[in-house]
Amino acid sequence: MFNHTLMDTKKIDHIISLSNDLRWQIGDEFHDNLAEGIYADAAEIVKDSVHKKDEKGTFRIDAKIDKIITSRIWGFPLMFLILAFVLWLTIVGANYPSAMLSGLLLDTVHPALKGFAAAIGMPWWLDGFLIDGVYLAVAWVIAVMLPPMAIFFPLFTLLEDFGYLPRVAFNLDHLFKLSGAHGKQALTMSMGFGCNAAGIVATRIIDSPRERLIAIITNNFSLCNGRWPTQILIATIFVGALVPASYSGVLSLAAVIAIAVLGMVFMFLVSWGLSKTVLKGEVSTFNLELPPYRPPRFWKTIYTSIIDRTLIVLWRAIVFAAPAGAVIWLISNIYLGDASLAAWLIDSLDGFGFLLGLNGVILVAYIVAIPANEIVIPTILMLTVLVTGISAGEGAGVMFELDSVSATGDILRAGGWTLLTAINLMLFSLLHNPCSTTIYTIYKETKSLKWTLVASILPVIMGFVVTFLVAQIWRLWS
Amino acid sequence: MNTYNPITALAVFFALSILAFLFFRPYRGWFWLIRNSSVSNDKIVVEDVLKLLYHNENADKHLNINDIIRTLKYNDRTILECINKMSDHELISIQGDNVKLTQSGSDYALRIVRAHRLWEKFLAEKTGFKEAEWHERAERMEHELSKVDADNLSSQLGNPQFDPHGDPIPTNTGKIAKIKGIPVSELPIGTIGRIVHIKDKPEIIYKQILAENIHIGSVIRIMEKTSARIEFHSEGEAFVLAPIMAGNITVSVLEKDVVFEENLARLSILKENETAKIIGISKEIRGDSRRRLLDLGFVKGAEVQIDLMNPLGDPKAFLIKGTSIALRKNQASKILIQKD
Amino acid sequence: MEVKPKSACETCAQFNADGLKKLGVNTTDFDYVVALAGNPNTGKSTVFNAMTGLRQHTGNWPGKTVTRAEGAFEYNRQKFKLVDLPGTYSLLSTSEDEEVARNFILFGKPSVTVIVVDASRLERNLNLVLQILEITNNAVLCLNLMDEAERNNLEIDTRTLARDLGIPVVPTSARYNRGIPELIQTVSELANGKIVCKPHRIKNIPKNIEQALEKLSAEIKQVYPDIPNSRWIALRLLEGDKNIIETLKTGEFV
Ligand SMILES: Nc1nc2c(ncn2[C@@H]2O[C@H](COP(=O)(O)OP(=O)(O)OP(=O)(O)O)[C@@H](O)[C@H]2O)c(=O)[nH]1
Ligand SMILES: [Mg+2]
Repeated sequence: MFNHTLMDTKKIDHIISLSNDLRWQIGDEFHDNLAEGIYADAAEIVKDSVHKKDEKGTFRIDAKIDKIITSRIWGFPLMFLILAFVLWLTIVGANYPSAMLSGLLLDTVHPALKGFAAAIGMPWWLDGFLIDGVYLAVAWVIAVMLPPMAIFFPLFTLLEDFGYLPRVAFNLDHLFKLSGAHGKQALTMSMGFGCNAAGIVATRIIDSPRERLIAIITNNFSLCNGRWPTQILIATIFVGALVPASYSGVLSLAAVIAIAVLGMVFMFLVSWGLSKTVLKGEVSTFNLELPPYRPPRFWKTIYTSIIDRTLIVLWRAIVFAAPAGAVIWLISNIYLGDASLAAWLIDSLDGFGFLLGLNGVILVAYIVAIPANEIVIPTILMLTVLVTGISAGEGAGVMFELDSVSATGDILRAGGWTLLTAINLMLFSLLHNPCSTTIYTIYKETKSLKWTLVASILPVIMGFVVTFLVAQIWRLWS
Repeated sequence: MNTYNPITALAVFFALSILAFLFFRPYRGWFWLIRNSSVSNDKIVVEDVLKLLYHNENADKHLNINDIIRTLKYNDRTILECINKMSDHELISIQGDNVKLTQSGSDYALRIVRAHRLWEKFLAEKTGFKEAEWHERAERMEHELSKVDADNLSSQLGNPQFDPHGDPIPTNTGKIAKIKGIPVSELPIGTIGRIVHIKDKPEIIYKQILAENIHIGSVIRIMEKTSARIEFHSEGEAFVLAPIMAGNITVSVLEKDVVFEENLARLSILKENETAKIIGISKEIRGDSRRRLLDLGFVKGAEVQIDLMNPLGDPKAFLIKGTSIALRKNQASKILIQKD
Repeated sequence: MEVKPKSACETCAQFNADGLKKLGVNTTDFDYVVALAGNPNTGKSTVFNAMTGLRQHTGNWPGKTVTRAEGAFEYNRQKFKLVDLPGTYSLLSTSEDEEVARNFILFGKPSVTVIVVDASRLERNLNLVLQILEITNNAVLCLNLMDEAERNNLEIDTRTLARDLGIPVVPTSARYNRGIPELIQTVSELANGKIVCKPHRIKNIPKNIEQALEKLSAEIKQVYPDIPNSRWIALRLLEGDKNIIETLKTGEFV
């Protein structure tokens, strides 16, 4: 810091007013001239020091790839195929390790822990709280989330390292323009596939405030890692079961893709709606640098993306799952009169849930899961067991051994689930409020309560409307 | 609970949606109407009267109360009440029939003008609103900006002296720069000059000028002049205007030695496998977007060619200084080139 | 101007290994602050990772990094805090997305600025380099992505480049850890004053602007006699940069 004398302060004021005068003398060509001047210097320097050894460069391969990736015929189908391929690998590849992990964590370790607790004479409530609440929620998250993420993230990172994402933005920009948004929103939506909070921070690359706000509000429409497993699981259980086993993989894949694409459709629609109403304004500038393709370093990418992204995201899920497991156990074991708090909540939301083609359990699960989407499914399962009173569990608020996907399906069907419930759950998982971390990030990035509120509530309202409409139409038909 | 009719549910839902739409639809929704009508309009009326007087006094015209009532689109009683209030607060003095601004009234008016022009500048530099919309938006905003807001806005914009129409922005002490220039209608053939001002009134003529894509800052050269029409070239295009339009455009004449580029084209018309040289960026691109383009290498003399077409036609990627940069058509059409 | 000759054993794994310790996120009690600046997608985060042993996210698209990240390394028993910045095209604009980087380069007072450039797109990268050189006296050019430049048959004469820019130039391929030891050594020498830069100042500025700059910068020097970059401050004042006007009043850049 500097302590100014009065003289200095006067001089500084003089400097500022002098600079204002000079600015007007120079005129508005100032910036143009300066930029040209700097580039002229740059050209002189480069002329001295850079030499091209031989004229035909190797830019050619890049150009060839680009011609296909952005071609009129192949551009869009390729994008779609790549998305389908990534999801297919994720779904198919995650099956086996998922079953193995749940076998280990839920069937073997859980009873062992229970036995151990009994052996050391742990009081029933502590045992229930820790092992049936916290441990089971965490175990479930690991079993269900780890495998798909360990496949999805590395694949996605490979694409990112290769240089495909900017091409997606390039291909889709026209659609963004039509909906009054910025093409770089495609990049932030892609980041949102990993984590919406990360996607929202990434919107900083959009340099005009209006378009950036649109990107922030709509980022929630790209399914984050906490929601992919829900989609995959429900699609496998309910949608895949509609056809013979040999086709069920394809059909559930199609269902998941349909939801992801629907998310994009909603993103365009909402962007359009916003830019025609509250965020009115013309699209300002768009510019995007398309970097050369760089062959990814395969193993290194896979290693770092598993270590960094997967484990970090998993850690977050666990951190949130543990207290959530505890909460579920608590609300199922605190009694108001003759019903537990959970039963009471579920009962009071059941009517509204039914109207939406969902049920009270799902709505309560989404309230419990505000901190993290990852725990929606375990919560639903625990609560369903609670209300249906299936006796496989070991007490209220306890998740029991789900050694296979079909067992999960059995519980849900016992809880009154139909195909409609499943489809609407998938829709609602796409269209509901962002998780608490994301909401906080939105607030940090917009510094506005109003927009944070809009971004948090708009998707839930849409979720209500969409599931409601689907439910009514469904019921009219059947 | 499980016995209800989906049709009833749908009907109730649609009824509610229609109601919500009527309430909240932009601008004309009931919610907005109610909210806006409860806001006191007096401030706005007072400020509009001040502005009207200020502009007229600048043109050496003096208004009486009737003129004011006729010109402003508020109901007569409101205006009369406001005029009385203004004279109580010594913002205006009423001498016989004439209404005049007092010193404090004229200071106040200058503040409104300042806010208006600063906001137009802001819209031009920082947002993507259409040029034809600026004035209307600034008309609304000028009543909402406090003096401090205006000062902040001004420093955020780098203390501009002129608004995007070329009108001077009063400083916070009330000083105002003069526009120096000659109307296009009075320039001899062959003159090269830079457009410094476009009158935004009367609105019909202003909108026509805008529709022609004529912008402040563009360099023009007078090609032909008769009593019925004036032709000039600018940014690679020819413009033919009636004298009354040309009279509303002011240019400052440039020295003899400037080069005036003819045969210009727009980057947007460049085809694959053609190369071109950048001549400049149209003055229509301002502020941050202009700077960004310059930083990306779209500077005078740079070689450019098409690198990638898009499956949907827009945007296109241009190869400039060794890098592929995608631009939308509306921007590319404002970059001036000369084909090789 | 001193230019470090290309080390004969640069591929040798032992190269300076004893002097270097990657410290990861442990950034307490550092001796020097080093900033990593450069255009988007030139490999700043990759260089950052190579120097600190951290795993900042990298990705082949401009704008991957949007917040600044910090890490540290130790070299010859001195601790360096390294700051990875989002990419910028220029310091002259007022656009929001580049604010983090701009502010750190201007006001973060790094002891050394490492300017990471894409060797095969040197000309466009120099736009930013020349601007940074107006601000700081202690910078090194990290000529990254050399493997790509070689594949594109580009030959870069680093000696001439270093002479023209007045700062040391270190060719690297950060992804394959090539050139990183040399970079670290150069950074250390710059921080310790063993290399003194004489940075290039922009020459092709139009006369009327140059005159205005001189006038203003002379006035600025009267109030702040010791600052090295009065010309840059003058430039920003002409642009009407609000931040600079504020800091001129408080004297924060001194
Ligand atoms: N071939 C090659 N690729 C490199 C090298 N250094 C970085 N890359 C790749 O270049 C891409 C960009 O690297 P980043 O480190 O993310 O670039 P950055 O400068 O941090 O980018 P921003 O954060 O967006 O400004 C990544 O795909 C890197 O793997 C190199 O020396 N050689
Ligand atoms: Mg980076």
